[in-house]
Amino acid sequence: MDMFWLTLSAALAIAVPALATAWAQSRIGSSAAATLAEKPELSTTVILMIAIPETMVILGFVVALMILLQGGA
Amino acid sequence: MIVSMTRVRILGPRERLEAVLGELQDMEVLHVAPPVTLTPPGGAPSAEVPEAERSVAATRKRIEAIGWLLERLPTTDGRGRARGGLPDREEVLDDLLSRLHRVVAALGQQQEGRSRERARMARMRELLETFRGLDTLRGRSGATHPYFLIVETPDGSAVQELREGLARLLDGGFELLEGPPSDGETPAVLLVPGDRTEEVERLLAGAGIQELPLTAGGADATSSPDERLEALDARLVTLRRRLHRLGRRYRAPLEDCLQAEHDRLLALETRAGAATSRHAFVLQGFVPEDAVRRLESRLHERVGPTVVVERQGREEWQGELAPVVLHNPRLFRPFEAITRTLPLPRYGSIDPTPFVAVFFPMFFGVIVGDVAYGAAIAALALLLRRSSAPDSLRRSIAEIAGACAAFTIVFGFLYGEFAGDLGRRLFGLHPLLLDREEALVPFLALAIALGFVQVVLGLFLGAISSFRGHRRESLGRGLSALMLILVALALLAAVEVLPHGFFTPAIVALLVAFPVLVILEGFLAPIELLSTLGNILSYARIMAVGTASVMMAVVANRLAGAVGGVLVGVLFGLIFHVVNFGLALFGPTIHGLRLHYVEFFGKFFSPGGTQYRPFGHWRPEPGPPSNPSAANAARSD
Repeated sequence: MDMFWLTLSAALAIAVPALATAWAQSRIGSSAAATLAEKPELSTTVILMIAIPETMVILGFVVALMILLQGGA
Repeated sequence: MIVSMTRVRILGPRERLEAVLGELQDMEVLHVAPPVTLTPPGGAPSAEVPEAERSVAATRKRIEAIGWLLERLPTTDGRGRARGGLPDREEVLDDLLSRLHRVVAALGQQQEGRSRERARMARMRELLETFRGLDTLRGRSGATHPYFLIVETPDGSAVQELREGLARLLDGGFELLEGPPSDGETPAVLLVPGDRTEEVERLLAGAGIQELPLTAGGADATSSPDERLEALDARLVTLRRRLHRLGRRYRAPLEDCLQAEHDRLLALETRAGAATSRHAFVLQGFVPEDAVRRLESRLHERVGPTVVVERQGREEWQGELAPVVLHNPRLFRPFEAITRTLPLPRYGSIDPTPFVAVFFPMFFGVIVGDVAYGAAIAALALLLRRSSAPDSLRRSIAEIAGACAAFTIVFGFLYGEFAGDLGRRLFGLHPLLLDREEALVPFLALAIALGFVQVVLGLFLGAISSFRGHRRESLGRGLSALMLILVALALLAAVEVLPHGFFTPAIVALLVAFPVLVILEGFLAPIELLSTLGNILSYARIMAVGTASVMMAVVANRLAGAVGGVLVGVLFGLIFHVVNFGLALFGPTIHGLRLHYVEFFGKFFSPGGTQYRPFGHWRPEPGPPSNPSAANAARSD
């Protein structure tokens, strides 16, 4: 049972930020496409903007890893 | 590094201004500052300002005219290139340019008209072939008259409207046959009774529909469609030859003239930045510190001792006004491409290029960390370098890729990775530092440690950068950096990496530093500190992306052994490695850049510098050759 909760927690730790990141990136991506249509010179900035929400999923990944390692999975 | 500038003021007798401008244009060191205002006794000669404006406007117009001609005149391969220049006198030159403009415009119009006619004729020819013999019908009875039409109709509605108009006019006594539409034009053959031609022609003219001067058999008064096409081709060749001859005669002199006119325009604009009185002039601007002596001696030698270069003390000008030019050692220079994607740093702040040159390839190497992938990146970098011109962006990218490849190979040995765990399986490669498949926590610690070093360095750089102008902010940043070090010490002591004795002093020092930070930076300082800690944690992405990369490589190797036969397995494994390699090029680059731009630069980078643009000779923007189609057409003749 413990293992069930452990793995569920780890899964949620990465799944929820992954969904949040996906939502944020979809919004940024659509705005980015519109921006690039008018100002192609902003491509570097736009790529960076898209990479910014990835922090959430990366931290989620680290937390999930910690849960699994600390829980002895 | 940002090159140190000196603000200079050049003073001299008014009659020497042109000579000084000439020397300055050749030296290309003076970035002209906004003009000073002189209020001499008697004031500046008022007639000069409109005269100068007229000269600038005339020169701009001439440049535009030459540019127009160069766009249309074909390039030549150098054979038969005219040696003579264009007239020096402005009136004669303007007259020549005007005449050339008329000739080239007329030739262009003729070319365009003939080309359009040729395209229509080619499309119509097929339709004409279908109705060959219709003219004989007319010849026999005279009862039917054919029209060969081009109906401009992007959506097909015009043909329908014509049909309806004809139905009303002729009460159904006509035949309208359409060809396939192309480029918004539909070819059509219309047969009407011979005695209704006048009304039909009025209808066609009213609808703006063009008629081709041909009969159904293709025989108009002069020629068949094939003969007409041949005549058009011959005419087009003649027109191209005439343009080519003009290009051979005038293109090179026009290019020289364009250079001279641009130089003249730059000189006129710079002259407008000089303050003049009846007897003297003053010109001021910025010169790189190491070029000031050269400027002084050259003006002294070439123009004479009456012209003086006066250096202004730093206290007389604000640093922010000075232009910025980056100059880094050869090894770091390619990384200026990364810095230049952001606005230039302000004069007096810190150029981040040397730090980017160290950290960016290192982060890339820490993330990818694979000998085989590193070698592949090195090969790509070498290929890119060979195909790139010196000082181009491609060359910079190739050299950055080379540095990234070197770090990737080094970290590959430290992790013991060659295409994932393939090196371990094939030739017993062992990790020297850590095994990324197993040691996830040490890898995370390494990533966070790198983040800690870079963010603290950024804070210290910020403190140094703002020390001159904003002491309070500078102290605040320095204290933040110190507090981060104390937090790190306390954490390391808590997990017993450092002796436990460090813990209490570190906590006490933090408690003392906290109110000082609030006093220095206000009540938002604690939030800022938390955000800085968040910045450090963001470096965990190095570990996350790195682990994902190595796991993908390991999966690729396992696929090779798990799927079907050996050949299929190897193929699958190889495809997986190629995909992983593509991701390994893209992901670490994006994340490395993001860590620099957001986490590191945010601590000290101060954008808003002005680009150093010394007054000099005009240089054309690099780009594709002008009028390549005209050049190709000329060559084909």
